[in-house]
Amino acid sequence: MKALVIDDSRVMRRIIGAILTDVGFEVIEAGDGQEALMRLEQHPDVRLCCIDWNMPVMNGYEFIVATRKRPEYRDITLMMITTEGEQEQIVRALAAGAHEYVIKPFTADVIVDKLGYLGLLDAEVHA
Amino acid sequence: MTATIDWAPVLAGDPLLQISQELFSTMIDLEPGLVERWVGDRPILDDPRYTWVDVAGEQLVRVVIGTGRETGEAITRALLGLPDGTPVSDEDYVDAVGEVANVVCGNVKSLVTHPGTLTIPVVAPAAPALEHGTCLEDACLSWRGAPITVALWLLP
Amino acid sequence: MTLAPDSFDFVATLVRRRSAIQLDVGKEYLVESRLAPLARSAGAIDVEAFIRSVRANVTLHDQVVEALTTNETSWFRDRHPFDVLKDTVIPDAMTRRGGQLRVWSAACSSGQEPYSIAMTVAEHFPQLRASIVATDLSESVLAQGRAGQYSQLEVNRGLPAPLLVKHFERKGPVFEVSEQLRSMVTFRRHNLLDAPPLGGPFDVVFLRNVLIYFDVATKRDVMRRVRSVLAPGGWVLLGAAESTIGVDDIWERVPVAGGALYRPREGKAA
Ligand SMILES: C[S@@+](CC[C@H](N)C(=O)[O-])C[C@H]1O[C@@H](n2cnc3c(N)ncnc32)[C@H](O)[C@@H]1O
Repeated sequence: MKALVIDDSRVMRRIIGAILTDVGFEVIEAGDGQEALMRLEQHPDVRLCCIDWNMPVMNGYEFIVATRKRPEYRDITLMMITTEGEQEQIVRALAAGAHEYVIKPFTADVIVDKLGYLGLLDAEVHA
Repeated sequence: MTATIDWAPVLAGDPLLQISQELFSTMIDLEPGLVERWVGDRPILDDPRYTWVDVAGEQLVRVVIGTGRETGEAITRALLGLPDGTPVSDEDYVDAVGEVANVVCGNVKSLVTHPGTLTIPVVAPAAPALEHGTCLEDACLSWRGAPITVALWLLP
Repeated sequence: MTLAPDSFDFVATLVRRRSAIQLDVGKEYLVESRLAPLARSAGAIDVEAFIRSVRANVTLHDQVVEALTTNETSWFRDRHPFDVLKDTVIPDAMTRRGGQLRVWSAACSSGQEPYSIAMTVAEHFPQLRASIVATDLSESVLAQGRAGQYSQLEVNRGLPAPLLVKHFERKGPVFEVSEQLRSMVTFRRHNLLDAPPLGGPFDVVFLRNVLIYFDVATKRDVMRRVRSVLAPGGWVLLGAAESTIGVDDIWERVPVAGGALYRPREGKAA
């Protein structure tokens, strides 16, 4: 399965990417929402996006709004991973179409656990 | 609402220590208990680096993290899962320690429900000049015995 | 520093007597690391010295036992028990009991388990009147359950974001459980070695991730006490690594998708 990690911090992209690779994802990256939309065009088989909120050019919230307008992206699972921990922000992101929301800092098992109940774990890799 | 953030209850909860402990235990050490309050005189940082991130809203809030260069490199390696002693590029350094500042600052912002956006981290060998600001808290922490300062400023 | 065998024995015996938790030889490091914070706050020079003062002062015994409990837990832990609750246990109980459900969350730790049960009810059976008795040996975890306050790290662990925003409210650094969920749950101190708590008979008992710390005889006795407060047709849910096999044959293991439910065998009446 393919995942797109969208964060302006290279370090964060690497950390999240490593977690996803460990559970069997093929990971591609983008540094902002705009670039992420481009990547989606190139990789229509992406099943999961992990999205930071604060990014230059196009932020994560705008990215979610943009993808939700596109019926061909309906099956992509959208997971926010951000330092934005206000309740209002979480509500906004979910209302815009995010499926999950993780507040930084986080541990690997928090992400893996959420992937599990979102039905995104390959049983073989993660027995 | 922003002009009247009530900092007293927020600061009473020792937020900088708490957030730092959560961050280090989850993403850097992968075990709890390695960040504590510094005991004794405030040490002088060896080859210091200061990293800061602002919340730019109606009120400007800044988090400044100070470490010795070596400590910052150790943080970078730990965050990136690099083996001990691996050389750390400037780019990785700025990105990693910047992310630490970013997470601390973002968590402070959530505590005070302060609307505003986080700025891109800045790293410099000297602390930013903040004569006109108010220092709300200036914590000195010990991470595996090395000093790390975390300060919270309110800027005009 | 390693703990003197005599000090370790004293702690292991105290903990076994009070909680049935087995601390076998080789667990010295655990005793040391769990007691170190207590020793520090008591002003003792080291764990050894602290244990000396514990020997002389029974009022310190409770906190030593509490420090050696493992309180690890998470929201909707292992998922499947909560699916079974929703798909099998509650519908089954409703046909027998109508609009009422009584649950015992035994060894509930800091409350994630009983509140996950409460969320399952609130989400899928809003008409149901559920009362959940949540018990544990440790006062400190019960205090957190009663306060209903969880840190950001704690809510990250296993709680789906849509439920977080629906059933919790952020208050400064913590997220607080809603009044609706809280009104379903009663926290009570209870030792599994004692007679069962009030509030039964129960349609379902969650007894998860605690039997693993006990020896076989204690497991059997605890389970028998559970059976004595089980409503007719009631079910028991154990942890993923736990089973009644080899413990007691009065229990019937009923496989369900992803795990198992337990109930007393017919004809083996209490
Ligand atoms: C690992 S937690 C399990 C929490 C929860 N049931 C779950 O599955 O996530 C084990 C709990 O058992 C409690 N415990 C240990 N011995 C006990 C006893 N004798 N009586 C009651 N509770 C006990 C501990 O205090 C601890 O909170």
